[in-house]
Amino acid sequence: MLEINHVTKMFGGISALADVSFTVEDGSFVGLIGPNGSGKTTMFNVISGAFPPSQGRVFFDDQEISGMKPNAICHMGIARTFQIPQPIKSLTVAENVMLGAVFGVKQAVRRYDARRAWDEARQWLEFVGLKMDPDSLPGMMTAGDLRKLEMARALATRPKILLADEVLSGLNRDELKEASQILQKAREQLGMTIIWVEHIMHVLMRLVERVVVLNHGVLIADGEPAEVSKDEGVIEAYLGQN
Amino acid sequence: MFEQILMALINGILLGGVLALLAFGLNLIFGVVKIIHMAYGQFVMLGFYFIYTFHTSWHIPLLLAMALGIAAMGLIGILTQLLVINPLLNAPRLNQLLALASLIIVVENLAQVIWGADYRGIPLSMPIIQFGEIFIRSSFLIAFIGAIVTLWFLYLFLNRTYLGLGIRAVAQDLEMAKGMGINPKVIYYITLMTGGALSGLVAAFFVPIYTVHPHFGASFTLMAFVIVVFGGMGNLMGGFISAFIIGIVTSVTAVLSSKEVADIVALLMFIGMMMVRPEGLLGTES
Repeated sequence: MLEINHVTKMFGGISALADVSFTVEDGSFVGLIGPNGSGKTTMFNVISGAFPPSQGRVFFDDQEISGMKPNAICHMGIARTFQIPQPIKSLTVAENVMLGAVFGVKQAVRRYDARRAWDEARQWLEFVGLKMDPDSLPGMMTAGDLRKLEMARALATRPKILLADEVLSGLNRDELKEASQILQKAREQLGMTIIWVEHIMHVLMRLVERVVVLNHGVLIADGEPAEVSKDEGVIEAYLGQN
Repeated sequence: MFEQILMALINGILLGGVLALLAFGLNLIFGVVKIIHMAYGQFVMLGFYFIYTFHTSWHIPLLLAMALGIAAMGLIGILTQLLVINPLLNAPRLNQLLALASLIIVVENLAQVIWGADYRGIPLSMPIIQFGEIFIRSSFLIAFIGAIVTLWFLYLFLNRTYLGLGIRAVAQDLEMAKGMGINPKVIYYITLMTGGALSGLVAAFFVPIYTVHPHFGASFTLMAFVIVVFGGMGNLMGGFISAFIIGIVTSVTAVLSSKEVADIVALLMFIGMMMVRPEGLLGTES
């Protein structure tokens, strides 16, 4: 279980997150939404350890993770994808995924031989449905393929919680469907807990079982998609946005 | 005259191999840790003194003394990371540069205090190989072959091992690498250890060629720096190619005029490259 406990994050004098609290139960599928600049990605950065919260704490399975280094948090079982997929360009597609498989799990690097990491990378590429030569460089990939690679890499660290940051952005209709299916598959087949930041509301609302809404860094709603979408505060926050 | 130039060309290539190894260490450290190891040539000097002491004072057989020298320099690399680089990881670039530049003075003065200002060397008589009119010093040939073999192993290490994969990941995208569970500090230690050991290895190759003195390293720091920047900072292939270009140009110019002119030509080439292509031969703009 992930517990966000009164988290505030200040940048200079501006609070990107202001006293936000919520919990995410194991195995749940939670949407984290809000207008641009509402603090969604900042929340992901705080959870994944990119920077510590200014105030408040984050707990994962009853252990405090706020203040821990990103690599340690990754080992605890929290992985994230980035809004803009950024594979390491000098590594092959398979090597990008192998990174997660080898380094994402504590002590794994000692147990692995080349064959095993390679096989595992292949399995993850298959899992996300990326049909391209694993030994090619990720220089010339479509937005959809980049997204799949990004997800394969995060999944390869075998997280308990996946922080999916706008995995649908920039995708066409078919790719959109595929990308959201990967999240569902991760949840159903791997029992993964997923927190999903997304702007494409009609897809998100159909899939998640709960929505947390941020606006100007403040949590303004938390509940089932049906009730949140009728919430007046939420509608107001989004007015003119969509 | 033709034979002389041909010989200079061959010597340039042989020297280029060792310079490539020297530049590789500096380049690797810059590529991974993003720090310019200003005292890299001084590390070669230190490695040379270690080997000299192990062999001459402690009477350890030469090859073993060289191995110990390489190990000692690996350790010095780790200490450099621990004591100098780690505390400055988030410091402004200039502070990092100055701290490492001050290492030059620390290492050189320490060498002067410990070993004195005299030239020291291990007298070895290495055969000279003759092909017709061409004479090649076997010490140069051994250094060249050793350097190329080492570079090949380093290539395999970076491309065929998990540690190498982790090093490349950190070099390319630190934030991403951390997110994938890589502890960058561990990678930095390994990189500095490798860089330190390489400076020791270069020193071992230099033992039959040169004598050492406390300011022995300065020209190699400059040379390595010129090669790395000429080839494109952080670009290992660029450094490899430019080592041979610089090696050949200096060696041939030295025969045609003098060693002093050769250094001037090399630096003029370097300045020219900076004016035409500031990112270096194979570097990418950043």
